[in-house]
Amino acid sequence: MPGLLTGSGDSSSLVPFSPELHTPAVYPLHHGLKPPITPRLSISWSSGNSLRVSVFRSPETTNTIEDEAEVGGKVVELKLSGEDVHSEVNDAVRWRRIVYGSVSPFAHLQNKKNAMAALSELQHSAPSQLEWSKYVLEYSKEINSLLGNRKSRPTSLIEDPKTVLKIDEEPSSLKAAWELLEIFYANKQSQSWIPEQLVDWLTDYDSLFSGQVPTVHLRLVEFQAQLINIQTVENEAAYWQAISSALSVGWLDIVVKLLRLHGSYQLNQLGSRETENGLVEAVAVLISKMPRMRVDLPDGKLGECCYNKSDFMKAWEKWRAQITKLDCSAYWLQCSHHQTKENLKNLLQIMLGNINTLTNATCHWVELYIAHFLYIRPFTSGLESMHVLAQKCIQLKPISTPHKLMSLIIGILGENTEVILAECSKSFGPWMIAHATELLTAGNIQAEILLKEERHNLGGISIEESHRLVYAQVLSSHALTWQIAPVYLISCMKHGVGLLEILLYKQPVYHSQVLLKNIEICRLYELDSVSANAMKIVGMHHWKHGRKGSGIFWLQQARDEVRLNRIAQKLFDFVGKSISDESFEQWEGLIELMGTESRTVGGLEFLHKYRDFKKSLQQVQDGVATDAARKAGESLISIMKNPSTPQRFWLPLLYDSLKLLTWQEGPLLNVSQCNLLLNKLQESTVAKLRPDFVEVGLPPHALSSVRAALATNLGRAILEE
Amino acid sequence: MSTETLKQFHRLPQSTYIDALRFLPPLSAFDRYVVIASFNSDTDETSIGIHALNPTDAPTLTLQSSFPTSSRISSLKVAQKSLQNPLIAASTFAGSLHILFPNPIDASFESEVSIPEKTLHIGPISCVDLQENGSACVSVGEDGRVNLISVSDSGLDYRRVFDSKGLVSYTAARWASPTEFATGGLGNSLQWWDQRRPGGPVSQFKGNWAEGASSGVVHSIDIHPSRKHTCLAGGSYGSVFAWDLRRQQQPIILSGIGTNDTASNICISSSDVWEVQYDTFMSSSNRATANISSDRVLPVMMCSEDGILAVVKQGEEPTEILAENCAINSFDIDPQNPSDVICSLEWESVAILTRA
Repeated sequence: MPGLLTGSGDSSSLVPFSPELHTPAVYPLHHGLKPPITPRLSISWSSGNSLRVSVFRSPETTNTIEDEAEVGGKVVELKLSGEDVHSEVNDAVRWRRIVYGSVSPFAHLQNKKNAMAALSELQHSAPSQLEWSKYVLEYSKEINSLLGNRKSRPTSLIEDPKTVLKIDEEPSSLKAAWELLEIFYANKQSQSWIPEQLVDWLTDYDSLFSGQVPTVHLRLVEFQAQLINIQTVENEAAYWQAISSALSVGWLDIVVKLLRLHGSYQLNQLGSRETENGLVEAVAVLISKMPRMRVDLPDGKLGECCYNKSDFMKAWEKWRAQITKLDCSAYWLQCSHHQTKENLKNLLQIMLGNINTLTNATCHWVELYIAHFLYIRPFTSGLESMHVLAQKCIQLKPISTPHKLMSLIIGILGENTEVILAECSKSFGPWMIAHATELLTAGNIQAEILLKEERHNLGGISIEESHRLVYAQVLSSHALTWQIAPVYLISCMKHGVGLLEILLYKQPVYHSQVLLKNIEICRLYELDSVSANAMKIVGMHHWKHGRKGSGIFWLQQARDEVRLNRIAQKLFDFVGKSISDESFEQWEGLIELMGTESRTVGGLEFLHKYRDFKKSLQQVQDGVATDAARKAGESLISIMKNPSTPQRFWLPLLYDSLKLLTWQEGPLLNVSQCNLLLNKLQESTVAKLRPDFVEVGLPPHALSSVRAALATNLGRAILEE
Repeated sequence: MSTETLKQFHRLPQSTYIDALRFLPPLSAFDRYVVIASFNSDTDETSIGIHALNPTDAPTLTLQSSFPTSSRISSLKVAQKSLQNPLIAASTFAGSLHILFPNPIDASFESEVSIPEKTLHIGPISCVDLQENGSACVSVGEDGRVNLISVSDSGLDYRRVFDSKGLVSYTAARWASPTEFATGGLGNSLQWWDQRRPGGPVSQFKGNWAEGASSGVVHSIDIHPSRKHTCLAGGSYGSVFAWDLRRQQQPIILSGIGTNDTASNICISSSDVWEVQYDTFMSSSNRATANISSDRVLPVMMCSEDGILAVVKQGEEPTEILAENCAINSFDIDPQNPSDVICSLEWESVAILTRA
């Protein structure tokens, strides 16, 4: 059970749980009742996060209350809104969009998983890892696209040379975290390009760290703000700092753009600063020719792609040789601008991978880490060596309270699934963890065992299931997302169906739309008994509120014979008076609704039979055909024989059919039938003495005339036989 | 099943749940407006809004004006008197009825008249329908009442046509002519009413349904102005059927489980069909072969709980237009431009599509 996860509290707890209790908040309740009120409140959960509080009035004072409406008390619904765990996606609408969008990729992947498992069972072979990782990647990309798009704004034709950094919409750290997981777990094909993928990742998300630590991004943003007021950039330390920082994290396009702002490019200065300009341009060219170990580069990004390692090695050596050559060049002596000379040499040191220069140029350890991949150890591969490198970077750039994304990176590099789960759960909430487990387990047997092993301390369920259950609980608490919860619950082997049933039982089914949704979900997951119960609840609700037709309809759908029989008794009381006269017609619609005899109608079957009998009697009255009369007689017998015919209707029925009993052309009933009717008549007269007898409202001579008619018929029948 | 090619398809996420939507008859020559009844689950606010739809490659809905209602909308209809302004009728789950008059110049709500809760019906109003010219409105409810509301310049006036006192519940209603209308209810039943013959339905339909189909509920009815003898209905278990008044008790099944004859069954969906409308659109391909004889049911568009928007034709394979991951709760075909369809999706969004 999800509750046990945090409740355990001992060392085995997976997610850090802070036992500190918030001080209870006190809210006044506006119930609008006049005192005195009993000190008793009834509190129950309504749908979602609503709390239903029933406030009662003191019973002894109720009789003196003038206002009738206030007698019992009042029910107040409270909507609770806790603090939002998804601090990033606090916008509920945006959050729901992610929730909606992730349903289909998740369900799709689960279907694929089940299909593959079934297939491998059939073929007695292990499911293909390659194929599976393809599906996982597809899934990951779909989810990723939901979390927001890196919108490149339409670039204007005349680009402002002073806009170095395009500041787009703030990216979400949820997306950043998802992309990290995708890089390390889902994208198996490009495992060897992880360093370059991380470079791209930092390009997109460095700004996220700005809130907590200084970043290169922040440095550039600040510099850009100053840029408009600066006349000669090369005299400013901030200019060179921005360049070296951007270079250290590999934002080559920005570096080149900034270098071209150098004063020596201005036409009036070219003559006097020719050598200086040559050096700036040489560095810019070298930067733009940096070999990159990757397949391709997005538009506008600089560098030369090398697909395989040997090509890259050659290009890398050549490039470094060119840098060294430039570093040793004699032109530096001719460069009169001191700052330009020093800082360009500094840039060359960055490119040559001077650890001190890199440490100075970067702001936090992740940036330094990326700089390592770019300039010192481009071939770093394998999580272990990457982890060692990360530790080294953290030592060089220690941080007091690590950013949540930093903790996630360390967790991933440390190959500690439990830490990753804990970080995901703590920082990104149940949605993230419910969806990310698919990435973590893809092709990672250890993680799979960890996540799918049934745990005693979790009530016999796996970690994976517990997280899905938690997420399903979150979904269940909202009126618009509860119908999504079944998709996740049904993927939980142990407790999913049980919780789904509870969820469905909790819905306010007396709203017809909720009922129909409930029935639909039950149909999809074959929960017939749950939907039958919902129909029973609705049936009784309608019945109690005077909608007899709907009540009977839903009880019929639920095949609830017991309730239908009980309802029938009530209904007959209601029918009672009208049975013999013409107002019976108002029941026509209801009888139509009850449908054919094959359906479950319980005691109500009588109404149907009675209507048919009445119709045949009608035909007899219209004409004098003996055939019709004989049929009517037969249906009289069958209706009298039927156990569902209430005793109180026996006499009225017989009285209605007096004409049949005294049929001119000859007796319609034989001796045994006559005896049966006489017995019934006798029984019904005896019943008069019973306390629960209901007067039907027949003329006083009814009994004697029926008795006489029956006797006549019997006599004639004996003669005939 | 074939799928229809779409010239354009856009999903427009909204920040509210869409309870119902309709194209508004054009207020002026260039504008296109959509009426949307929405429900904000975070604030519990409900409203009816007029949105301008700009028909570009990337359509957008821009809210022009909004009218707050006290409860969620159960049914929304629009009508237009000839050469006059359109009017909007909306019923709520609380039981009130609102008639709104949009201003043709700025698409604001010029005036509103309403009948409060607990007057027309006890409990929710299931469905309302406006006459073509907007002069009268019929309302039905689970309480078994059928009311006629006359809409005039002086206000609203209502009259109870029938009260089954809860013995029969009604879930759908649709006008057939100025004097006749049809209603639908539980058990896939339909009733035909004629104001000239008061006192109850003049005809009842309770087809020879096979086991199962008779347990359905009618959710929507449509009647084509040129074929007033045929009543089209959609309801539970994916059923879309037509009731020809001339052939009393035999339904014409267009989709879903129906009679015992399972061989010819077409079943495009097995969930609730939320809305049916006659499809007036003739694509260039089917215009050539359009020889719909008078005894065949006209093409029908339907939307369903399992996310299907499709056109079904009698005796033909249905054409699927959309297959969404969530329910399509309602749709409307633009009467001026029948290739355009707008639908409301369960996951707080609106889909706009243009058929080729």
